[in-house]
Amino acid sequence: MILTGPEIATEVGRGAITITPFLPSQINPNSYNFRLHDELIVYEEEILDPSVENMYTSILLSREGIVLESDRIYLGSTVEVIGSTQYVPIIRARSSTARLGLFVHVTADLIDLGAVGRLTLQMHAVQPVRVYPDMEIGQVTFWRTQGERVQYAGKYQASTGPVPSKSYLDWSSPSNPIARSRQ
Amino acid sequence: MILTGPEIHRQVCEGNIEIAPFIYDHLNPNSYNYRLGPLVLTLDRQGKPEGSPHDLREQPLILQPHRTYLGHTAEMIGSRRFVTMLNGRSSVGRLGMYLNISADLGQLGPSHQWTLEITVVQPLRVYFQMRVGQATFWIPQGLIVEYMGEYAKRSDPTPSLDRGGPC
Repeated sequence: MILTGPEIATEVGRGAITITPFLPSQINPNSYNFRLHDELIVYEEEILDPSVENMYTSILLSREGIVLESDRIYLGSTVEVIGSTQYVPIIRARSSTARLGLFVHVTADLIDLGAVGRLTLQMHAVQPVRVYPDMEIGQVTFWRTQGERVQYAGKYQASTGPVPSKSYLDWSSPSNPIARSRQ
Repeated sequence: MILTGPEIHRQVCEGNIEIAPFIYDHLNPNSYNYRLGPLVLTLDRQGKPEGSPHDLREQPLILQPHRTYLGHTAEMIGSRRFVTMLNGRSSVGRLGMYLNISADLGQLGPSHQWTLEITVVQPLRVYFQMRVGQATFWIPQGLIVEYMGEYAKRSDPTPSLDRGGPC
C-alpha cells in the first residue's frame, strides 16, 4: 500500500518519515517532489569497473545549470534529506523530467528502511538536456511494509551529497546490513 | 505492501518464496541482493543473439553502450504467493548499468533464473556472481492465477519470443 500525500505529511509530522526541508507546495496526491542539489559527480575512467574505486570529479552547478550529455553517467543528489524507519521509499522521475528523456536513477529506485540522507540520483540523458540546481526533478513515494523491520546501516548512510559507487567493498568484505543493525 | 528482509527470510523458510541458493548475507532491510549468472548474450540490431553466449566464469566482459545484452540471475527466484519485482542495486546503478529496460515486474508463478535486459551508459566490466540487483516481494490482492508462459520455464538468458524468436 502506498501513502497518499496528506499521509506523507502526517508521517513527517510524527517523525516516521524524514523529508528536510519539507515544503507543502511539493506534496502531490501520492508522492513528494524532491529537488536537485547543486553538486554533480562524473567518473574520469573510460572503462568503469565495479571491483575497484573509480576516479571521479565534482562539478558545482551555477544558476545557469549544466547540459547533461548522453553517453555519460552523472551522479547528483536530492536537496532534501530523505528516509524512513517505517515506510519503504521508492524514487521516480517526475513525468515532466522523463518527457525530456532524462532518467533520475538507473534501475535503482528502491531505498532501504532506515537509510537517511541526501539520496544519490543516477542521471542519464537520452538526448542532451539542461538541468538546474533546485529544480523539482523527481518524486519519492512511501510504501507500507509487512514483517519485522530492521534498519539500514550500510555504506551510503547519512550521505550529504552524491556518492560514487562503493561496489568494490563487495570484493573486500561482504556486507551484511541486517546483521549489523538487528536491535 | 512490501515484505521486509526478515519477512522475506521467513517466507523462504516456509516455502512461499524460492530463492536458491539463499545466502543470508545478501538480505537487505526490504529486499534480497541477486547476483549475475554466468551467461551473457549480446543482441544484434534485429534483437537476435550474436554468436554464442559469453561465459563470465571464464573471464569478465566489458559491456559497451548502445547495445542490449541479456544476462540472467545466478539464483532461481520466484513465488506463487508474493509478486516479485527485480530492481537494480544502487552500487551498480551508480556505475550506469541498467538491469532491465523498464520491465521490472515479475509474475506470480514458478521460480527460475530471470533474464536481465542489460544496457550500460559507459563501458563497464562485469563479473560472474557480482551482486547486481535487488528482488522485492509484494503482497497481492485477489485470486491468484499463476503465470505458465514460456519465459518461466527458461533459466538461460532468453531473447524475446514475440517475433517467433529462437526456441
